[in-house]
Amino acid sequence: MHAGGDLLVLELGAVVLGLAIVARLARRVGMPALPLYLLVGLTLGEGGLVELPASADFIEVGAEIGVILMLLMLGLEFSPHELVVNVRRSTLAGVTDLVLNSAPGLAAGFLLGFDPIVAVLLGGVTYISSSGIVAKLVADLDRIGNHETSVVLSVLVIEDLAMVLYLPIVTGVLFGGSVLSTTVAVSVSLAAVLAILGVAYVLGDRLSDIALSHSSEALLLTLLGVTLVSAGIADRLNLSTAVGAFVVGVALSGDIVSHARGLLLPLRNLFAAVFFVFFGLQVDVRLIPGVAAVAAAIAAASVVTKVATGWIAAGRAGIGTPGRVRAGAALVAHGEFSIVIAELGIAREGDLGALAATYVIILTVIGALLYQFSDAITVAGLKRRSRASR
Amino acid sequence: MRKVTESDLPGVGVRFDLQTNSGRAVGVVVHQSGRRDLVVYDDRDIDRAAESVELSEDEGHTLGELLGGSPVLEHLDDAVHRLEDLVISWVEIGAESSLAGLTLAEAALRTRTGAGIVALVSDSGSIPIPGGTDRLDGGDTAVVVGVPSAVKAATRLLTRPNN
Repeated sequence: MHAGGDLLVLELGAVVLGLAIVARLARRVGMPALPLYLLVGLTLGEGGLVELPASADFIEVGAEIGVILMLLMLGLEFSPHELVVNVRRSTLAGVTDLVLNSAPGLAAGFLLGFDPIVAVLLGGVTYISSSGIVAKLVADLDRIGNHETSVVLSVLVIEDLAMVLYLPIVTGVLFGGSVLSTTVAVSVSLAAVLAILGVAYVLGDRLSDIALSHSSEALLLTLLGVTLVSAGIADRLNLSTAVGAFVVGVALSGDIVSHARGLLLPLRNLFAAVFFVFFGLQVDVRLIPGVAAVAAAIAAASVVTKVATGWIAAGRAGIGTPGRVRAGAALVAHGEFSIVIAELGIAREGDLGALAATYVIILTVIGALLYQFSDAITVAGLKRRSRASR
Repeated sequence: MRKVTESDLPGVGVRFDLQTNSGRAVGVVVHQSGRRDLVVYDDRDIDRAAESVELSEDEGHTLGELLGGSPVLEHLDDAVHRLEDLVISWVEIGAESSLAGLTLAEAALRTRTGAGIVALVSDSGSIPIPGGTDRLDGGDTAVVVGVPSAVKAATRLLTRPNN
């Protein structure tokens, strides 16, 4: 073993232990752990309290695997058929969501004088809610049976699918050359995504049967191997590794899905946490005071636009006032995918990292609180209105 | 049958809602994992699940039978669901049934009733898509599929002594 080996293990152990402590803390107060993972990364990163010379490389690789696993698990949630049905039915809600919620980020990006592509990334950051955090909140608060929940989940599905088209486009633009070559690259990658999804739609069942194995060890290795290869190929095509992984998840369906989820969940939890730390590491903490006010302003705008999105979508589904408020509040939490998007542009624009980290920390906390207390908020609002009308 | 509305819960499963004559709303969430949630909605906030009881697949079947729901109409997936007249029923084979102890080929249930057995479930495990040599044993459960009248006829043969 080389000399740095021992230090690597020690550093890594300390980081994971730190994550364990904050995860317990988050659980105790009933909050998502994600903002605390980001904070751990921030305190360890550039300009932070301690630096991690030995384990930085390992964390970077781990982070990449984290993104891949997050998207794979997301893809597993959906079958190709479900995606098609949902897109057809919820197009209008999806468009409302996209327009209302990418606006705050786009506007802020242009006002701050970022590159247009970085502004588009910031629009993506404010657009996409956290399906992970929302799903967990819904389950924790026992609201799966609520009528508005189906509306909320439909909106989230559309967002996740939009991500799959958005990621290759921005990746193509970020790493492309001239306008022409970029356009070509982007069109090729979009065509590739659609083609792969089409193949998954037609052949998904058969592929899943081939991959299925009774040995959990063999199944785990098959899943990881196929996903990493697919992500790697996507990367070679400048498609973004995340999309390669997502497509594998969507293609798998039937019996294999529940096995796969059980096997992958612990890995996903570990590497996703590593990804959030890695993101925090890259952010120069000294930039945060400068962007905090802007982050708070965008966050406030996002609360308004997300609540409006949920309110409108639930209203169209015939849901009453308290349910509409809950649907709006449910969509406020931003998280993993905002960070995945911001990560793409962090090298181009340092402020984007600091801005996104602050924004996500604010919105996960506010989102969780709003959703938890949405009924009380409705009651208070209705009371005030009836008093005013009297 | 009363009108049941169905809503997709992407990534979770399906929710079915039923409005009772007395003005209450109840629902069932069928998770992809087989778990069921029995949901009773709030009187004043009709969209809110006031009470949600988690049931395993077995408990769900038991409750369904207690509520008088046999043969059970099962929502499997879109392909099956589209065949609106199709009924799937879990039938416990009676020990005194004239078919008990016979192989599927000997029982010739499909020729006699038009309903087919798509699975056999016993304590020692289940046989999906059983073949002609698989045996119908008293106490085991046969999963019978067909149009309602065929399933009814098959259920009679499987549960009752010679008739």
